[in-house]
Amino acid sequence: MYGFEALTFNIHAGYLEAIVRGYRSGMLTAVDYNNLSQCETLDDIKLHLLATDYGHYLQNEPSPLHTTAIVEKCTQKLVDDYNHLLSQATEPLSKFLEYITYGYIIDNVVLIVTGALHERDVQELLEKCHPLGMFDGIATVAAAHSMSELYRLVLIDTPLAPYFSECITSEDLDDMNIEIMRNTLYKAYLEDFYRFCQKLGGATAEIMCDLLSFEADRRAVNITINSIGTELTRDDRRKLYSNFGLLYPYGHEELAVGEDFDQVRAVVEKYPPYQAIFAKLSYGESQMLDKAFYEEEVKRLTLSFEQQFHYAVFFAYVRLREQEIRNLMWISECVAQNQKSRVHDGIVLIF
Amino acid sequence: MSGSGQRLNVVPTVTVLGVVKARLVGATKGHQLLKKKSDALTMQFRQILKRIVQTKESMGDIMKSASFALTEAKYTAGDNIKHIVRENVQSATIKVKAKQENVAGVKLPKFEHFTEAGESKNDLTGLARGGQQIQLCRSAYVKAVELLVELASLQTSFLTLDEAIKTTNRRVNALENVVKPRLENTISYIKGELDELEREEFFRLKKIQGFKKREVERQRKKKFEEDQVAEIDWEKTHTKGFGSDLLVPEAQKDEDIIF
Amino acid sequence: MANSSSWAHAFLYISPYTFSAIGIAISIGVSVLGASWGIYITGSSLIGAAIKAPRVTSKNLISVIFCEAVAIYGVIVAIILQTKLDVVPKQNMHLAESMRAGYALFASGIIVGFANLLCGICVGIIGSSCALSDAQNSTLFVKILVIEIFGSALGLFGVIVGIIMSSQATWPLVVAA
Repeated sequence: MYGFEALTFNIHAGYLEAIVRGYRSGMLTAVDYNNLSQCETLDDIKLHLLATDYGHYLQNEPSPLHTTAIVEKCTQKLVDDYNHLLSQATEPLSKFLEYITYGYIIDNVVLIVTGALHERDVQELLEKCHPLGMFDGIATVAAAHSMSELYRLVLIDTPLAPYFSECITSEDLDDMNIEIMRNTLYKAYLEDFYRFCQKLGGATAEIMCDLLSFEADRRAVNITINSIGTELTRDDRRKLYSNFGLLYPYGHEELAVGEDFDQVRAVVEKYPPYQAIFAKLSYGESQMLDKAFYEEEVKRLTLSFEQQFHYAVFFAYVRLREQEIRNLMWISECVAQNQKSRVHDGIVLIF
Repeated sequence: MSGSGQRLNVVPTVTVLGVVKARLVGATKGHQLLKKKSDALTMQFRQILKRIVQTKESMGDIMKSASFALTEAKYTAGDNIKHIVRENVQSATIKVKAKQENVAGVKLPKFEHFTEAGESKNDLTGLARGGQQIQLCRSAYVKAVELLVELASLQTSFLTLDEAIKTTNRRVNALENVVKPRLENTISYIKGELDELEREEFFRLKKIQGFKKREVERQRKKKFEEDQVAEIDWEKTHTKGFGSDLLVPEAQKDEDIIF
Repeated sequence: MANSSSWAHAFLYISPYTFSAIGIAISIGVSVLGASWGIYITGSSLIGAAIKAPRVTSKNLISVIFCEAVAIYGVIVAIILQTKLDVVPKQNMHLAESMRAGYALFASGIIVGFANLLCGICVGIIGSSCALSDAQNSTLFVKILVIEIFGSALGLFGVIVGIIMSSQATWPLVVAA
C-alpha cells in the first residue's frame, strides 16, 4: 500500500520517528563545524561540544583530552541513542533496527576470530569491539577452532547464522582469508537487509532500497579498486559484489575485469547518478573517492529525512551519526597533529 | 701548570736519560698518531651529527605525515581498523640487522633494515572501505620505521663515537699536557743534574789538584828544609849564607807555575 | 417493484428509521473514528518531538484541537439529524416522502461521517508533520498551520452539505385521506 503508510505508521513507530528526528536536530551543523575547525586545542573542541548534544557525555572528561576519548564518548552517545530506540521499538521496527547493527556484529565476529587465530586475549579483544555490534555470547566466538564449530556453537543463535551458512566453504579457519570472509558475510547481510526492506514495502522499501543499492554499489567499486594488484582473482572479486544495486548485473561484469582506476571509472560513469561523483575527481586520482562517496551518501541520507512515515530515518540517523563521529575524529586529529590546513578535507557537512 | 714542575722520579744518570729520551720520542709519535685519529673521528662525528640533524628534521615531517595517514585511514576505514590490522600481524615484515663498522679503530654499531619476503598478508585489509588509505598509511609508516632505524643507527654510532673521541682526546691531552712535559722536565732535570755533577767533578778535580800541588809543595819545602837543615848543618860546616840566597827566588817563581 | 421477492423489493421495505439511525450512527461514529485517528497520528509524533523540543507541545495542541473539532462536527450533525426524527403514522411509513427523509438522513450521516474521517486523518497527518517540523524549525509552524486549516475546512464542507441535506428531510405526519 504505497503512500498509505501514513494511516498506520504512527501506531507503532510515530513516537520513535519523532524521537529520532529530535536526535537529528541535535546533530552538528555547518556553523558548528566552522567553529570546531577554528579550534586551537582539543580543549577548545570540548568546550564547543559541551554546548551540543555531546555535552553531557564529555562533561566529566578530565582535561588532558585525547582524540580517542572524544571519539569514544561520541560513539557512546550513538550507542545510547540506539539502545533507547531499540528498547521502545515494536516488531517490524525493532527487527529493522537490529538489521542496522548486523554490519557491526560481522566486524566484531571477524575481529575476534582473527584475534583468536593469533591467540590474543579474548577480554582484550572484546574491549576493541564496536559497542553496537555486541551480542550475548560474543566472547565464546574465540573458543571456536574451526569454521563449523564456530557456526555450531556460537553463531547459530545469532542473526548472522544464515549468512555464515552461506559462506562456509572451508573447514579450517586458517585457510580462509579473513577479509574475504568478512566481505562475503557483508554481502549476504546487505542482500538480506535489502530483501527485508522490500518486504516492508511502502516508502521504507523505496528509500531503503535506494540507500542500500548505493551502499552495495559503493562496496563494489571499493572492492574493485582495493583489489587491483592483489592476488584476488576476478571470479572471487565478482563473488563479493552484492546481487542488487544499480550496477547489478552488467556493471558488475565490467567491474570484475577492471584492472585500474580509470577502467573502473569508465564503467561507473555510465550510470548517471554516479557520474557526478566521479566528475569531481581528476583522472587517475582515487584518493578523494572515499570522501566523494561519503558526501553522496550523506546527501542521500539527509534526503531521507525529507519524507515522513518510513523506517529509513533510523538507518539514516545511525549512519549520519557515524559520519559525524568521523568528522569529529578528523577535526580533533587535525587539531592534535597541527594540520589545520587539512581540516576541511575531511569534513562532510551534514546539515 | 701543575704538570710543569713535575718530573719522573728517576736517578739522573745517562742511561736513564737515554731511556727517558726514547720515551719522549715514543710519546711524541703517539701524540701525533692519536691526534690524527682524533681528527679522523671528529670528522666522522661531524658527519654523523650533520646526518642526525638532517634525519631528525625529516623525521618530524615523515612522522607527521605518517600519523596523518593513519588518521586518513581511520577516517575512511573506520576507527576499528587499527585493531583489525594489528590482529592480522603474524611476524614483523621489517627487521633490523646489526653490523659493525670500523672507523679509525673504533667499532661503530650500525643497524640496517631489511624487508621479509612474502608480506602480502595485509593486502586485502579494508577491501570494502579504505583499502587504499590503509596501504598509504602502511607505506608511510614503513618509511617512518626505516628512518627510525637509520636514526637509531646514527644515534648509537654518535654516542659510541662521542665516547671514543673523548677517550682519544683525553689521551692526546694527557700526552700533550702531562706525559710530554713530564718527560721533558725529566730530561732537563737529568741534564741539569748531569751538568751539575760535571761541574762538581771539575771543581773537585781542581780542588784535588790544588790540594795535591800544595801537598807536593809542602813536601818539597819540607824536603828543602830538611835539605837546608842538612845544608846548614853542612854550611855550618861549609859556607853560611849561600842556601838562603838560593831559596827565595825559587819560592817566588813557584807560585806562577800553577796557571 | 415488479417482483416482490427481489432484493430491490426487500430493500425498499427496510424502514426509513433504520436508515436514519444508521446515518446518525455513522455521522458520529465515523467522525469520532476520524478524530481519534488524527489525534493518535498527531499525538504520537507530538510527544516524540516534545522530548527534544518541549516548546512544541502547547503550540501543537492546536493540531489535536483541530482533530477534536472533527469529532465535534460529528456530534453536532448527529444531534441535528436525530432532531429530524419524528413519529410517522404506520400507513405513511413507506411513502416516498418518508423514504426520502430516511435516505436523506442516511446520506447526510455518511457524508458527514466520511468527510470527517478523511478530514481527521488529513489533519492528523499534517498535524504530525507540523509537530515534527516545528521541532526542527519553529518558523514552519504557522505555514503548516495554514495547510492544516485548509485540511480541517474539508470536514466543514461535509458538515454543511450534510446539514443542508438533512434539512430537506420531512416526515409525512398527516395521514392522507
